[in-house]
Amino acid sequence: MTATRRPGRRRFSPASAGADLLLVLWFAFSLFPILWMVLLSLKSRADQTSTYFVFTPTPDNFATVLSEEGVRLTGVDFTGALLTSLVTSLGAVLLSLAIGVPAAYAAGRWAYRGSGDIMFTILSFRFAPELMVIVPLFVIYNQLGLFDSDAGTIWVLQLVTLPLIVWILRSYFQDMPEELEQAALLDGYTRTRAFLMVALPLVRPGIAASALLAFVFAWNNYVFPLILTGGQNPTVTVAVTRFLGGGGQAFYNLTAAAALIAALPPLLVALSIQRYLVRGLSFGAVKS
Amino acid sequence: MTAAPDTAPRAARSLTLRNLHKTYTARGREPFAAVRGIDLAVEPGEMVALLGPSGCGKTTTLRMIAGLETVTSGEVLIGDRAVTDLPPGRRDVGVGFEGYALYPPLSVRENLAYGLRARRARDVGPRVAAIAERLEITDLLDLRPAGLSSGQKQRVALARALVRNPPVLLLDEPLSHLDAGQRQRVRRELKVLQREFGYTTIVVTHDQLEALSLADRMAVMDGGVIRQFGTPDEVFDDPADRFVADFVGEPSINLVGGTVADGGGAVRIGGAGTLPTASRARAGTRVQVGLRPQDCELVGRGSARPALSATVGVFEYLMEFGLATVDLAGQDPPEAGGGGPGRFVVQTPGGASLDPGAPVLIGARPEHVHLFDPGTGERLR
Repeated sequence: MTATRRPGRRRFSPASAGADLLLVLWFAFSLFPILWMVLLSLKSRADQTSTYFVFTPTPDNFATVLSEEGVRLTGVDFTGALLTSLVTSLGAVLLSLAIGVPAAYAAGRWAYRGSGDIMFTILSFRFAPELMVIVPLFVIYNQLGLFDSDAGTIWVLQLVTLPLIVWILRSYFQDMPEELEQAALLDGYTRTRAFLMVALPLVRPGIAASALLAFVFAWNNYVFPLILTGGQNPTVTVAVTRFLGGGGQAFYNLTAAAALIAALPPLLVALSIQRYLVRGLSFGAVKS
Repeated sequence: MTAAPDTAPRAARSLTLRNLHKTYTARGREPFAAVRGIDLAVEPGEMVALLGPSGCGKTTTLRMIAGLETVTSGEVLIGDRAVTDLPPGRRDVGVGFEGYALYPPLSVRENLAYGLRARRARDVGPRVAAIAERLEITDLLDLRPAGLSSGQKQRVALARALVRNPPVLLLDEPLSHLDAGQRQRVRRELKVLQREFGYTTIVVTHDQLEALSLADRMAVMDGGVIRQFGTPDEVFDDPADRFVADFVGEPSINLVGGTVADGGGAVRIGGAGTLPTASRARAGTRVQVGLRPQDCELVGRGSARPALSATVGVFEYLMEFGLATVDLAGQDPPEAGGGGPGRFVVQTPGGASLDPGAPVLIGARPEHVHLFDPGTGERLR
């Protein structure tokens, strides 16, 4: 029998060592594409098609991707794409907040006629395949003149950002005791002021977390901008792939460098909101 | 006893509920009647407890008075003013919420000032200071709610409700989150404060001790209606029906099956004997007999008084008094209760001691032996 086991100290056993080894292997396996991308981004054009791990690394690819020379060489305006992504992702999040915060409050506080159906419809945007709506959207966008415009991208990204923000914030509002607002109502505040002055400040962490998460998802979206932005105004996700086949030439090293640059903002955001990510990713599961 | 204290200040107003109903309707579900016809007249400055088990509609009633719940039908009047359709902020009631409802990001001082600011009061600072002084929370004014103990939170919540000086004060389970020691102290304080300020007060509680100690009058509720409204003494000694008799009183009332004896004035309980009763129920009626442990009297052998013979099962000595759980003669213990628990409890005076297995005779004064209809639970007077 084990006499005393201090908490936090595990005794060595073949089973746990085996489990640890498996974890390390899985980790290496799943991170390998990223490692490969990092290596590729440091290779020169001569080395880009080799599969060697040993080569002379060069930082030139990053500079090329972001410079005029890159545009001349490949025809891809990557800096412009970064700006487009920033504008459309930020715009999409802000628009979703403006609509989603009041919507989440209403959904969290009252059951009204059709409230369940509305919430389910919003949620269904998340699990319906994007390709299902993309063809009609393409036609509509062409007719409305929204094709290849920032406004059009912001609008279509609502399918990504709005469900996240509404569902995450609803659970925040539900977790907040209703009595707080009721006390304010009894003090003579109107419902609107109780919402603005009592409820809203308390869900600020939720607003921040859901907004950042929605930003990541909007930034990473590929299918909508691929179809709905044409040649002139692509987002980074689309622009990255253009390095692969410009004028009959493939720039694998530049693609890797661009992909790494494009991955930075979501990575930084994800690290900053790590604490809230689990709740955000399991949104809707917290409370039905 | 039923009148409000004479010291009630002019600020206090009466509170009247007229045939108040609340029915919840949700799509795809049966409509649920939470409150079905409540009539209640609370005198200015009076403290009334709404007492009942969970789900009896007491909190819904409180919320309708506060305006936090819409009224399905009926009327709420504060003084002479009908407030049934007014928003909560214009009813001039203070509410002490069960969860305290203190606003976490604000300090205690700001929490107290919050309500006054909404009304654009000029003397916010002095009024907050005054109420804090009176409730002895001046030291806490600069703390955040998270840093307070539950007893302190309760005081602050009370101060928050009182700072606007509302003529009507509503308290929802004010003591439920306190530990036993604090509960007694806060209970006394509540009583003193209520007397001093003279607010017309409604306390919602499921704890009969709280209701007994705080309230001038109490309304015992069940199933969305008031079963009985009266002083604690009236409710305890003269219960309106079996529910009230069973719900109020600790240990709870003994309920056994019996038959009204020939000639009336007494009730026969199986083979155990008879008890005198003030009820004028017809002879031969099958009834349920209710006798409180506190009203049981041990009768000496050879006495001519009608009594029940029993054997002591368990005796608990509790210093000021003793509790004897006895088996009635001629009764199967599991069935003896006939709806209540299958036991009969006798409270004995302090100092007395009973040995298990000892035979005893249990008597009672006629006015303490209550008869109920075995089916409906109605009191047979």
